[in-house]
Amino acid sequence: MWSIVVKELKIVLREKGSFFFLLLMPILFIALFGSVFGNTGTTVTVNYLDRDGTKASKQLIKEIDQIDGFKVKKQSSTSLDKQIKEIKEGKKTSLLVIPENFEKDMQAGQSVKVKFYRDSTADQSVAPIRSVLENISHGYKDHKLSTVLMTVTKDAKKVKEMMASPVQIQEIKENVKSVNAISQVVPGYTVMFVFFIMITMIRGFFREKDSGMVARLHSTPMRSIHYLIGMWIPALIMVLIQCTVLLSFGYFVYDLHLGDGIAIVAIVFCLAICGTGLGLALSMLVRGETQGIAGTQLIALGGAVLGGLWFPFDLLPAFAQKVGHFTPQFWAQKSFQDVMVRGAHVGDVLQGLGVLLSFGLIGLVIALLQYKRYLRSATH
Amino acid sequence: MEKALSIQDLQKSYGQKKALQGVTFSVKKGACFGLLGPNGAGKSTTMKILTGIVGADHGRIEILEMDATKKGRELRQRVGYVPQSITLYEKLSAYDNLKFFGEMYGIRGKLLQQRIREVLIQIGLQDRGKDAVETFSGGMKRRVNIAAALLHKPEILILDEPTVGIDPQSRNHIFDMIRILKKEGVTIIYSTHYMEEVEVLCDDIAIIDHGKIIAQGNLQELLTEYSQRAVYVEAPTLKEAPTSLPGAIRTYAQGDGWMIETERLQETMLYFLQSDTSEDIKRLEIVRPSLEHVFLSLTGTQLRD
Repeated sequence: MWSIVVKELKIVLREKGSFFFLLLMPILFIALFGSVFGNTGTTVTVNYLDRDGTKASKQLIKEIDQIDGFKVKKQSSTSLDKQIKEIKEGKKTSLLVIPENFEKDMQAGQSVKVKFYRDSTADQSVAPIRSVLENISHGYKDHKLSTVLMTVTKDAKKVKEMMASPVQIQEIKENVKSVNAISQVVPGYTVMFVFFIMITMIRGFFREKDSGMVARLHSTPMRSIHYLIGMWIPALIMVLIQCTVLLSFGYFVYDLHLGDGIAIVAIVFCLAICGTGLGLALSMLVRGETQGIAGTQLIALGGAVLGGLWFPFDLLPAFAQKVGHFTPQFWAQKSFQDVMVRGAHVGDVLQGLGVLLSFGLIGLVIALLQYKRYLRSATH
Repeated sequence: MEKALSIQDLQKSYGQKKALQGVTFSVKKGACFGLLGPNGAGKSTTMKILTGIVGADHGRIEILEMDATKKGRELRQRVGYVPQSITLYEKLSAYDNLKFFGEMYGIRGKLLQQRIREVLIQIGLQDRGKDAVETFSGGMKRRVNIAAALLHKPEILILDEPTVGIDPQSRNHIFDMIRILKKEGVTIIYSTHYMEEVEVLCDDIAIIDHGKIIAQGNLQELLTEYSQRAVYVEAPTLKEAPTSLPGAIRTYAQGDGWMIETERLQETMLYFLQSDTSEDIKRLEIVRPSLEHVFLSLTGTQLRD
């Protein structure tokens, strides 16, 4: 059996394509998405045209600029028509226009209309700006109201009490060690690419079957179970190496918080058994390499979407979330995030580990049951 | 003489197709046994059943006085199998391939190192052991393919068309190897459709077609039983098939002349020497019966796929 393991590892080491699929591709994906959604966060740009140019209008712009995640951008062209045309053409999504006499009308206590032009097809990107502007507008309203109340009551404390909202929202972060896009991207793409080991396994089994090697090996005193295990262990080792490299990449390059090391090792081990167990089953079941690659893509990519590997699971529609619970990817990602983000330990992720091991063991049993069929179809 | 192998009423079907229909033969210990047959005749199926790769539907196989169906694993330790296809790992070196196969036969450590050195010398590749198999010629690959079955010093060596698509030098080298193995007492079972290989290597021959053994014996027995002696004549003026020849059984065109099958060889030759065309005769000879002739007469000339 160990002779088969050593032989397989030697062959894999000589095949550069395996490294590309199992290591280089996921690193590229993590680097790409890590850079896009990484620790820097997302900044929303607010384009503005200040036609008043007074102290009050500049104060409004400054207030927007000081809000986290927002930055203002003064438009070089003063032509409103040109700016609106750019929105119509999709070159800009929104434009805030502070009208002339903004300061003067404010001081006169008159209602001032600040116009907000937006691309009606870009609701999602414009919504945060709109929300911020409404907040600022409410702020001005509160200020105006408190000024009036102050004039009437002459009691600042009383005015403060009157202006206080009956509902206060207090944000408290519970059990969270480190939450950012990296804690979604790194484990997400690690889990996703683990399942691509199935392609390497399918290719290996078909190479052996079609070349007549399986048949020849059965003319030696080798036992069938030794052959299966001998072909399985190298894939398991490859996945363990793959996960170690990818998580280390996240740790060293993106400062990924790993959490309990033993729990992470346990998840990686169970995930490796799951991915390779399913790979073994698929290798025995499919009738051709192409069918195997299609099956792998279905499992790897379908599971990635439903298991919440590409974006947070909570953002999925309710039905997709229900289906997602039946994917090993969901349990792997959940276990990783429980350990990395919520500070969980092995005992806290036993359910996830159990599900992953069960998937792997089911795969191994299917492979054992289908081995005779695989052997019958082997080239002699 | 002691038997190395004995097969009784072997039957095997693949779906509706009957690959073997009651194959029976035996092989003497230390002999070289040739299994001849056209494509799809049942040679490879017989070989695969002998090596335990596929199971028979019916029949009894005794190898080295053991029931092959009960003692399969034990027997595989004593039998070497060289398949028709080259089953080597192209990316690995010849040494790594041999090490792998040696380990599969349970050989380890210094003994394995020694055996690898010996078989590399045996196949004439002692200087290329470290090179990847993918850099080898077809003939070199074939030799390594054979070497992989020799590491555990088998008592019976089964070779399934081991010389397909190789150069004459490699073929000659393989023949020499087989002769040496035979001298060392190894029983050889050699499957092929190359008649000349069987003629030069094998002591006993069986011809198989449509899953049945249709003839068996040593070369001389087969030639005597299944071939007809003949006279070949070639003369430019002999444009038509010669008629009214004494004792002619069959006359047919071959090459630029005529083949006359007859039991009365001398009379037939004398007939041509005394005829009007005698001065034009370019060739007049008694034709030695060949295995190919026997083979074609038994299996027919129809193309097989």
